[in-house]
Amino acid sequence: MTTQITKEEIMAVFPTVAETMADALGCDLEDIVLDVSLIEGLDAESIDFLDMVFRLERAFKIKIPRGKIVENARGALSEAEFEANGVVSEAGMAQLRSYLSEIPADRFKTPMKAKDIPRLFTPETFCKLVITAQREAAAA
Amino acid sequence: MDSGIAGKTAIVTGGSRGIGRAIVERLAAEGADVTFFYRDNAAAADEVVAAAQAAGWKVAAEQVDIRDSGACAAAVERVADRCGRIDILVNNAGITRDNPLAAFDDDDVAAVLATNVTGVFNATRAVVPYMTSQRSGTIVNLSSVAGDKGGRGQTNYAASKGAINAFTRALAVELAPRKIRVNCVAPGVIETEMSAEVREQSGDAVLARILLRRYGKAQEVADAVWFLASAHASYVTGQVLSIDGGFKME
Repeated sequence: MTTQITKEEIMAVFPTVAETMADALGCDLEDIVLDVSLIEGLDAESIDFLDMVFRLERAFKIKIPRGKIVENARGALSEAEFEANGVVSEAGMAQLRSYLSEIPADRFKTPMKAKDIPRLFTPETFCKLVITAQREAAAA
Repeated sequence: MDSGIAGKTAIVTGGSRGIGRAIVERLAAEGADVTFFYRDNAAAADEVVAAAQAAGWKVAAEQVDIRDSGACAAAVERVADRCGRIDILVNNAGITRDNPLAAFDDDDVAAVLATNVTGVFNATRAVVPYMTSQRSGTIVNLSSVAGDKGGRGQTNYAASKGAINAFTRALAVELAPRKIRVNCVAPGVIETEMSAEVREQSGDAVLARILLRRYGKAQEVADAVWFLASAHASYVTGQVLSIDGGFKME
């Protein structure tokens, strides 16, 4: 489902996502561009991700279960298929590249540890998360 | 110096009786908008609300079983929707099931840990996202002298309160970067319904261990909670403050 998200859908939610992120990270709105790495580009920490998700839930009136972003990134793969001993498998890397298609190829370091996946996340990743949650809420 | 309590939104768990009620009234009297959670004593909760309204205070009650994380989250969300923010959480709700260790059944242990420990986790987990977003807030946990000094027949209760002391210190570290303070008040023997049996059974033996030679009052504990929740304690976090009249170890 996530691969079918269109650019129009992303741009429709992006202004609110960007505003939410700027508030959460205490940065300027102009710093929030679709493809900036939240960790490496905007110094986001793990607690900021929780805060961003919470704020997005309130802003869009959606529910985003904990771990949902990684679950979405994993797609149809099981946890065992996606990673082994904390390292993302070949199939997992292919799935990640597909789900995070907006991220330049050179950001996907191999071997990649599962715990480093959030380093890839950008505002666009969160736009997709919101859109997926909205679709799931509409389908429920 | 202004205490900073007026206009704040506060949640107090276990607020219908004893120390909890005193805390609700202490904060509300100073202008906080207080919602307290209670489990099953609706009559007592109604009485607290009615008394507060008569005094012109903002106090509301929510029936919440804090052992249920979903119920906690929903109740906190209702308070946030109504008040716009959450500034103060007082984790006061707690129970005792005193017995010698060998006489416990499974439920004596599980029930105490579920309310006194899991309940604190649940209420705190529900509130922290709001405080994190605000970059402000203060949490005051109610522990007990038993969490540090132990007490015969109270291994379950002592373990639960020792856990709250540790929880307080760890959470203070975790939340300090978000400007959220976390502290703990550890009452000794306070004149409440909950401690009536202990006071009756131990009589002078317990009094002899209290330097001030008297039991504490709920109001005295509420004063300590008020202090830690207020701007007067703006440089205090990760602390366990004993309000026990100088309770001595055996």
